[in-house]
This record gives sequence, structure tokens and C-alpha cells, in this order.
Amino acid sequence: MLNREQALALVLRRLAALGRELGKPALQDADEQTRLFGEAAALDSIGLVTLIADLEEDIRVATGKTVTLADEKAMSRLTSPFRRVDLLAEYVVEIVGR
Amino acid sequence: MKLGGSLTSATSASPDLLNNWLQQRFVAAGENPALIGAWGVCSYAQFGRLGDEAARALAGLRLPGPSAVAVVGGHGPAATAWLLALEAAGHFVVPLAGNPAEHPARLAQVNAQWVVTADGFAWSLLPRIDEPSAHPLFRQLADRGAAGLVLFSSGTSGNPKAMVQDFSALLATYEDRRPNGLPVLALLGFDHIGGLNTLFGALAAGAPLVVPAANSPEVVAAAIARHRVVVLPASPTFLNLLLVSGAAAAHDLSSLRVITYGTEPMPESLLARLKAAFPRVRFIQTFGTSETGIVRTSSPEGDSTYLRFEDPKLAWKIVDDELWLRSATQIEGYLNASNERFTADGWFRTGDRVEQGPDGTLRVLGRLGELINVGGEKLMPAEVESVVLSVPGVTDCRVRGEPNALTGQTVVVDVVASVADHEALRAAIRAACRERLARHKAPTRVTFVPSVSGERMKKVR
Repeated sequence: MLNREQALALVLRRLAALGRELGKPALQDADEQTRLFGEAAALDSIGLVTLIADLEEDIRVATGKTVTLADEKAMSRLTSPFRRVDLLAEYVVEIVGR
Repeated sequence: MKLGGSLTSATSASPDLLNNWLQQRFVAAGENPALIGAWGVCSYAQFGRLGDEAARALAGLRLPGPSAVAVVGGHGPAATAWLLALEAAGHFVVPLAGNPAEHPARLAQVNAQWVVTADGFAWSLLPRIDEPSAHPLFRQLADRGAAGLVLFSSGTSGNPKAMVQDFSALLATYEDRRPNGLPVLALLGFDHIGGLNTLFGALAAGAPLVVPAANSPEVVAAAIARHRVVVLPASPTFLNLLLVSGAAAAHDLSSLRVITYGTEPMPESLLARLKAAFPRVRFIQTFGTSETGIVRTSSPEGDSTYLRFEDPKLAWKIVDDELWLRSATQIEGYLNASNERFTADGWFRTGDRVEQGPDGTLRVLGRLGELINVGGEKLMPAEVESVVLSVPGVTDCRVRGEPNALTGQTVVVDVVASVADHEALRAAIRAACRERLARHKAPTRVTFVPSVSGERMKKVR
């Protein structure tokens, strides 16, 4: 299991690492309100898929669980969990808790 | 020698310099917008003059015969004008876009003699090599007075395959488009058959083509709202991202009437969400391969992922679950590969796995072979494998496609590493791929494994 703070730390750590990789230093100063995808967002679609793959790997290491974050259910949500850091962290908590 | 221009030396239009029927449409469309983008608005009258300018520059070169000419740019006025001027003069045209790191290999494959680099209204023309391409496919076209168009598709060996087609015959298929003036959005690339199809379709209809500054859902949605775009050709992945990003809800997209989708399978659930989000829009499935051209289709019902081919110039059949096509606009052949995907009697094996529905309809299920489709952009594993293998610390690797709800499929690489710091190696692999490959080809998931199976190219040490 992961709590919200742990999930948030995972997401921010991954985002910072991806920022170093992509040469986008702003991602290292990301916070809960940072937009991931959509208007004025930090990532393009391939970047978002990369972040999600990294997170799935982190979750596997941290909890031993193999999860899929981007699935049809996530797509159908009225508010996408991939729009903002806090929404993604909360979604991670929910998925890991299932 | 270098030539350049930017529509400063505007002269009166002379109809014989561009393709005749197209030139007439441009004159008829007059001051209506032709191409709208970062350069502002280019009217059809301006566009016609730009075509003349390109044609004159070309004539001034006094080339002894048809030459291979690359046009580097996007759907901008100068790049498009050059495309048409080169066609009218019977040359072999190579449109290039995307990551410039991929261009040198492509220019070499084609033996391009000249390179036009275009940006907005401005262009420059530079010689590249002094020796005309003597490829039999080029001679075959030249002998019947036809221009050539060279596009690239993913090759199994890791080298993109250069496909040659009759540009004059392709362009002629747009002559029956009726002028409609309905704004269309350009989403697919300038170096992609789908992107060229959108371009030629819009020009033939005297319609404005809106070219967004970037292909992100946000930028595209803003462009649709601003220019009241009516027709949006897109991939299912892009349409999904349009919804998921919130861009569809944040902008006024009420001008949209038609969304065409193709290049990858459409999930039923996504089509249902799209219909709910755009109740006034008609959804039309298109089907095309670089080898056969874009094919006209219809859907039995609006909410169906089944399609029916409506093209009199196309024959199709299903062999062992694979779709085979034979069309009037199919390519002449490859410059650098065997025609193994074509049968002796002219059928093209698409590699698409399809199933037959009621009343002569069919549905695309996915791919048969190794080809990976990321949001409609295709690649072969070998292309990525050769880059990954070049990264120090990689002993062996295998690239494969994995289903992904955001981009249809995503690129995954299994790596056998000779170094312990996997985190650093993962970053190095991704950095190398980003630098040397188009964006969609970079692996999103890098996993480390003790060994990989199969007859992949092994690293030579």
C-alpha cells in the first residue's frame, strides 16, 4: 500500500528525473499543482507515457504489485488523472489499493 | 550556388508553370485563404504566385533532365508551392519533415541532387550532389513523362524504405474534388501520405488549410476554435488525447462537422466517448497505406468501427486474415528494397489483420507482423534496436510494441546490460533514441533482462 504523501513523492521524483533527461529543468521544481498534460502542460503524449511507465516500475519495486495506470477506465474518467501531479498521485494510491 | 526567395519578386501568374487544373482552382479561389499558420494567412492568389516563383527558379537551373529534389519543411506556403512546381516540371520530389537527424540517410537513399529548405513564405535552394539518380524506377517514370514522389516507410532491416510513386497520377486523383471552402486542419506530417492527402484535398477544394504550430491537443484545439475548422483528419490516439487533456472541453470546437480517423485501429469505447463529446460531428473512417494511397471508405453506421471500401479504383481481398489491396495509386516500387510485399500480379499485402463484417464490410484488428504503431506513426523494431545497441553498456536488446491506452501501442525495449547502474543506462538509452530517432520511436519503457530471445542483430564486439 502507498499513502498520498508517498505517492506524491514518487511522482515528483520521477518527474524531476524525466526533467533532467528531457532537458526541462522546470520539471525539477514541480509541485502538486503542476500540470502534466493538457493546457500549459509539461509533457507531450510520449513524455506522459514514459512517466507512466517509470511510475509503474517504481510501484512494482515499492509494493511488489504490477499495475497498469493507463487503461480504458482511466481514459473514461470525467477528469483525467493525468492532468495534474496531485490527481495522478491520488490515482496511484487508488490503483495500488485495489 | 544558392537561390532563395520570399515572394518579394511577385509577378503575374502564368498558368503553364503549375499543374493546369490546380492553377485554375487557385485563380478561382483568389483572395480566399489557402494556408493559415505561423506565417499568417497565405491567400490562393499569393500561393499561385509563390508557385510561379518556384517554377521560375527551377527553370533557371536549366536542369538537363528530371532530378531528385528534397523539400524540407512543413505544410507551409513555400514548401507546398515547391512540391507542386516540382511535380509540374516532372521531377522526383522527396518531402522531408520531423527530426533532422533522420534526413541525411534519406537524402542519401534517394541520391537527392537539390535540397529546398522552406519556412513560411521563405525558401532556399542548394545543390547537394552533382550526379543524377539512375535508378530504374526513376527512369521508368521519366520515360512516361511523370513526376515522382518519394516517401519513406519503416523497413525491417532498420533502414527506412524509400517508396517511389507516380506523383502526377496521384495528384490527378484530386481533380474531381468539388470546391467547398470548408476549413481543414493539417495534423499528419508533410512527409506522410496522410498529411499530403489532407494538403492536396484542401488545395483541390479551394479550402483553407489550417496548420497548427504544434501537434499537441491544446494547440490544435485552439487553432480549430480560432479558425472555425470544419474538417479534422486525425488518428484515434490524437482524438483520445484531445479528450483526456481537457483541451476539447476548454475550447469552442462547435465548428467541427467531420472528423476522419485512420492510421491505427479505433477502439469501440473511444468512438463512443467521441460521439458523446461531439454529438454534431460525423465520424468517417479512412484507410490508407503509404504503398497504396488513401482509400475512400464509408461506415455502415456512424458509430461503427466497420468500414466499406468505396473506391472504384481499388480491389481488396482477405488472405489468411491479412488484408490485400490493389489500387490505381499504388507505388511503383522501392528504391532500396525488394518488392516482396507485392505479389507478381500486383497485390499489396498490407500486414493488417482484419475481420469481415456483414454486407462486405471489414474491421481492422491490428498488425500481423512486428510493425509497431504509436498513435498512427509506425516503426520497425530494428530501427530502434540499432540505436539502443550503440549505447555503451548494452550487450543485447529486443524492441517490441506493447498495448497502451494513451497511444494505442508504445515502444518497449528489453535490455541485457553489462553495467550495474540500470537507472543511468536507462537515461542514456532514451537520450540516444531521442537524439537520433523521431519522437514516437523512443522507448517509453526500458526493462532489464538476463537474456533476450530470437534472432536479433547481436552487438559485434
